[in-house]
Formats: sequence, structure tokens, C-alpha cells
Amino acid sequence: MSPLNRFLHRPETLAGAIILGVLFAMALFASLLFPGDPQAIAGPALLPPFHDWSLPLGTDRLGRDVLAELFHGARTSLAVGLAAAAAALLIGAVVGTLAGFAGGVVDEVLMRITDAFQTVPSFLLALAFVSVVGPSLGVVVAAIALGAWTGPARVARAEVLSIRERDYVAGARVIGMHPLEIAFREVLPNALPPVLALSSVIVAAAILTEAALSFLGLGDPNRVTWGGMIAEGRTVLRTAPFLSIVPGIALVLTVLGVYLAGEGVVETAAVRRSLS
Amino acid sequence: MSDISRRTLLSGSALLLASTAMPAFGWAQTPKKGGRLVLAADSEPRNLNPAIVASNGVFFISSKIVETLAEASFDGKDGLEPRLALSWEGAADGLSVTFKLRDGVKWHDGKPFTSADVAFSALQVWKPLQNLGRIVFKDLAAVDTPDDFTAVFKFAKPTPFQLIRNALPALSSVVPKHIYEVGKIEDNPANNAPIGTGPFKFGEYKAGQYYKLTRNADYWGKDEPYLDEIIYQVLPDRTSAAAALEAEEIQLAAFSAVPLADLDRISKVPGLKVISKGYEGLTYQLVVEINHRRKELADVKVRQAIAHAIDKDFVVKTVFLGYAATATGPVPKNDPQFYTADVPTYPFDVAKANALLDEAGYAKADDGKRFAVKLLPAPYFNETKQFGDYLRQALAVIGIDAEIVNNDAPAHIKAVYTDHAFDLAVGPPVFRGDPAISTTILVQSGIPDGVPFSNQGGYKNDALDALIAKASETLDTAARTDLYKEFQKEVAADLPLINVAEWSFISVARDTVGNIANNPRWAVSNWADTYLAG
Repeated sequence: MSPLNRFLHRPETLAGAIILGVLFAMALFASLLFPGDPQAIAGPALLPPFHDWSLPLGTDRLGRDVLAELFHGARTSLAVGLAAAAAALLIGAVVGTLAGFAGGVVDEVLMRITDAFQTVPSFLLALAFVSVVGPSLGVVVAAIALGAWTGPARVARAEVLSIRERDYVAGARVIGMHPLEIAFREVLPNALPPVLALSSVIVAAAILTEAALSFLGLGDPNRVTWGGMIAEGRTVLRTAPFLSIVPGIALVLTVLGVYLAGEGVVETAAVRRSLS
Repeated sequence: MSDISRRTLLSGSALLLASTAMPAFGWAQTPKKGGRLVLAADSEPRNLNPAIVASNGVFFISSKIVETLAEASFDGKDGLEPRLALSWEGAADGLSVTFKLRDGVKWHDGKPFTSADVAFSALQVWKPLQNLGRIVFKDLAAVDTPDDFTAVFKFAKPTPFQLIRNALPALSSVVPKHIYEVGKIEDNPANNAPIGTGPFKFGEYKAGQYYKLTRNADYWGKDEPYLDEIIYQVLPDRTSAAAALEAEEIQLAAFSAVPLADLDRISKVPGLKVISKGYEGLTYQLVVEINHRRKELADVKVRQAIAHAIDKDFVVKTVFLGYAATATGPVPKNDPQFYTADVPTYPFDVAKANALLDEAGYAKADDGKRFAVKLLPAPYFNETKQFGDYLRQALAVIGIDAEIVNNDAPAHIKAVYTDHAFDLAVGPPVFRGDPAISTTILVQSGIPDGVPFSNQGGYKNDALDALIAKASETLDTAARTDLYKEFQKEVAADLPLINVAEWSFISVARDTVGNIANNPRWAVSNWADTYLAG
């Protein structure tokens, strides 16, 4: 069985992959299907879903098309999720590799910094960061990455600790490679797989954190986000619950999809490792 | 006495009705003594001294404890009814106003209320410390107290009696001299646990939970107050007030604590009533504040274009769900003294707005945009934030690219009124019955940086400044009113700011709460006659 087949063989992984596929398609084709500003006023306010087929999911309190907002919101969610996860993995891998490979004082200092970040709840950290710097997409990504890099850093360090004792590392030392070159060329690539396994969890958490920040009014107000849609719908929760429910379902499915697909990747990788 | 006997008779017949299991609405006719009124409070002001902080959030609680000289009224002369003052008379030269005060009034600590308290409040508190009194009483030089129940306000410069009259309900909270004369007034502990003459005494405050007011048995009003206790239950989450009303945990939610979108549904709940009266004297205005330091916005054509791009009817219908009125200028339509409809208007007309912008020399670039602005919607109300979202879309249609910047309340005030870090802002100023109290300050020049809710957009118009100065010293009521009509015309023509809509609040109460909304400032009046039936 090829890895792809094995990957898609598990039904939950398949479901995750399909959800993710749909999500990526939504994000990619948002501008094609709904050109122009998704926040433009498109019809009467508070139109319920499935009443007018030009506005299939109805409209919000100002008469904006919920479906268009949902598609454009997928973009923001995915962009923030992926960017924050990439940043967190990058910072974590670098810090972990440096700490693990250098050892001694460098290790101590870097790991105590990691401890310091780990003791502060990551959501509070993001909240504080965004309220101080001011909400915009880049700041939100940075804020989420700030609380998420510690996990990858610890995993990377543990992995590096075992790899640096291997023969090929000693060999590299003997031929006179610069220690940094050894760390990032020889050790890091081999330490990456278990770190990458964390990515699905981080992406899912990042998407949720972004939604929570937007819900609290700390998202980028000039962009559609699912969290912002839920927050807007909350004031009319009793009269127009669909405004909160629709983006809520999208959020749940996305996190579920990311998680299932991520699990599938990890399982597949694990099988391949044990096979080899 | 005839009043009492009728009351006794009515309550007797109500008892009879109840005993024969008739519907309970018979009770609603007769004020009943006793009971605890529980209502929703959405903010927790720390300083509860209305003589220093004249704002509705403070009045909402402290107006029951600390009374003013007069209160607004639907049918009283000049729209006023007596409280601590029985009568007020302005001299023809505008240099003095004589108040006759009520006899037999006691402070909550048992000391008698006299004209010395009024003189102290006016000179030591309203004039130097109060946010609004600083403007209205700026020329107050002395307060003579020929006897215990007469206070004569002496002004250094002629001051229109109409202005003083209009300022009485909001600005004239009288605080006890014997409590405040020791130490610094701003740091007095009574600011957090006020002592007044009102129908209710301050009970206790538990942060994040409630304020408790208890009945003042020595109140001067005959048989008043009817309630034993008022509890302000702190419910900062707006959606929870509606649920608490339905669960009968609270009996009243004032100041639109129930979101407008929920009113339609909640009006159908048996036992609850939706009341839009009782806020006529507290009109909020939805205003687009403009930073005239921006070259584009300094051009009146651009401002007119923005005014034409805003569909006011849409705003009233969608943002306020009909619970508002479109605005024509800086004085709201419901003001009985000053409003004039005879001003330049800006009907919704996108083509005209585009033409005006082209004329002003800001042609659309290839991407359809003319220029970009920073838009700061005030965070105090859902409606101001929603209007911000609407305004961004309305401006996009005419090629102005607005970027919304959200701040919390302190950061918003700093950004707009101190740092001037905005191009357009959405603000909710309050009209307080006279343009000189808090309206002319929105457009007048020469105001120091950092004064909130004032002209911080760098707007300067000598003709308008002269008009405001002239009106502030015109004593004749008719002539003064005419000057303010001219002021409205000038503001609507030159658009230092754009008035979009005017709104007030909605109360939702259980059917058992009686005497609701019986004056134009009901939510911030003393509630001596409010009662709970059944």
C-alpha cells in the first residue's frame, strides 16, 4: 500500500481530508465566487437562511451576505492558523535545537525562558499582546505564535538531545563543520518529524484562539472573521440564532478536520517509520 | 386630604376586586407601599457624586439619593417641576437668579438642609469641578443667602436665565456642606457613598454584584417614597438582562439594557412591557466627528459628499430598528424650544456625492478609490459600532477607503480627544435641553486638547464662534432662541460634524412596576413615586 492509500484508508482521516479540502477550496475561490467586498450590504437586514436563493444563508444585522462572509472568513481563519503554526514551529524548532545542541548555560537560559512562557496561559498572553499593540492580522498571528512555540521547542530539544550523540554528528564534528551548521543541517532535519506532528494541534488551537480574540473584539475589524461573526450574532442570539450558529458550525468542522487529517498524517508517518 | 381619601378608597376597592379573583390590573392604579425593586445596571461608576460627575451613568443610581433644585417635567412651566427649590426667578439684567428653597428638608444624617448647602454646592462644586457646570456656571461670582431658604445666584456677566433654567435638572445636584467642607472635595468618602436629601439612602455597594438603596423615612414628599429598597443588579452582559427579566430575577431594565433586536420578541412575553417614553430629556445624537486637519476633510465639498453618502433612513431602520429619528442638525427634532427644520439637508444621493468629490479634485484612481481614512467608532454602544461598520460600507461606495480602528473606551477618548489620531470618528454626544450646555462645544474653536466630547477636530469658523459668543450673552429668550436657530443653519451648511440620527433609550419592565416614565428624565429622576403592585 502506498502512503497516500494508507493515509486515505482510515475513514476518519478521509473525513478530515475532505473537510480540509473543502475549506481550502472555500478560501481559494472566495474572491471568485464572491467578488468585491464581502462586507458590502447586499440585501435587507436579518434575512433568515434559505428564504432567498441569491442569499442562501441569509443576511446579518446590516444586510451583509452571510455566505460570502463565511467564505472570506475561511480565508482569515486558515491564513491565521497556518501562519501562526508555521511561526510557532519555526521559533520552537530553532530554540529547541539551539538549547539541545549547545547544552550548558545556553540550554538553561533558553529552557527557563520557555518555562516562563509556558507558565502564562497562552490565551491571556495573546489577549495582552493584542490589546497593547492594537488589533491587525499580523499582530494576531504574532500573538498566537507567542503562546504556541513552547511545545515545539520542548519536543525539538528532547529529540536533539538523543540525536547529537549519534555517530554521524560526531563524524561531522571530526571533519570540522561549524557547530551551527551541524545543528541546523544535520540535527534539525532529523529532529523535525515529531515536532511537525504537533502542527495539527497548533493549527487547530490557533484557529480557535483567533476566533476567540475576534469574538472579544480584538480581531482585525476590517476583515471578516468567524469569531467576529459569532460576536456580532450574539446580540441577536434569541431572534436570529443562525448568525452565530452558521460560523460556529464552520469553526467546529474546521478544527475537527484539521485535527483528523493531522492525526492521519502522524499515523501514516509512524507506520512508515516502523516499516523502514 | 381628598387625595388621600380617594387613594384609600381605590385601594379598598382593589382589595375587593382581588378578593373576588378579578384580574390583578386593578392594583396598577393605586400606588402601593413597600417592596423591593430589582433592576439591571450595566456599568459600575465609582464616583457616585452627581454634583461632580454629571453623567447619566451616575445619575441612574445617585439621582435617587442626591436631589437637584428642579426636575424636568412633561407639563410643568418651562418644562420643570420643583424639587429642592420651590421657585426660581431671573433678574431682567441677567446678573442674578433667586431661588426659594423648600422648608423642612433633612439630609440623610439628620441635619437640616439650608441655603448654605446650595451656595456651597454651586460655588465649590458645580462651578470648579463639574464637567458641565464649568461651562454653564463659569460667570457665577457669588451666592447670597439672605435667609435659610433663599439663595441668590450673582453672575459677573449677564447670563441667560433660559440657560440656567434648562440646566437645573442635570447640573444642580445639591450636596451637604457639613460633609464636604472638610478636606478635599474630590477625595471625600461621600463621593462613593453619597449623602443627600433624596427619597432613598445609600445602602451598600458590592463590586461586581449590586448597589443597594434603602427607603428614607424622613423624606419631604408626603407618603413617599413607596418602595422600601432599590437593588441595582450588575449585569454587564447585555444579553443577560432580557433573560433575567423573563426569569423574574429583575423587574426593570432601563437604558436599553435589553438589546433593540430583542424588543420585538420580549414585547410578546406576558407580564413584560416595553416603554419608549421617559427619556425625552436625554437625547443622544449619532454624529460623525471629522478631523479638519486632514486636507481632504477640510474641504466642505468632501464633507457634503460624505453627508450625501449616508442613508439616514437605512441607519434608523437597520441599526436602530426604528427606535430613533433621522437628524437634520445639531439640535434634535424632539427639542421643544430650539429645533428648526429650516436648515440645508443632505438627502441620500450617491451620484451627487461622487460628483461633489470629483469637483473637489479627488478623482477615483484605477482601483475605484479616491483616498483612505481612519475611522474610529466609539465603543460605548452597540449602535455606534454598528454604524461604524455601515459608514465604512457607505464610504466604500463613493470611493473613500475607510479603515476601522477599534479601541476600548479610555483608548478611544485618548485617541480622538487628546491625540487627534483619527480622520473620522463616530460619537454619541448628548443634547441636554439647551445648546449652550453640551452642544456648542462640539463645534466651537479654542477648546484645549483633551476635553472629551468637544471640538477636537481642529475646526475653526469665526462666524460660528461669533454666533455662539453672542448667544451666550443674549438675555432675551426669543432672541437667544433665534440665534440658536441660526447656529443650526450654519452648522448644517458648513458641516463641522455630520448629525446622522437621534435616539433615546427603551425600558422593559414587569407589569407590576408603576409610575414608570412619568417625566422626560425618568430613568435618572428620583423615583419617589415609583411603586410595585401586587
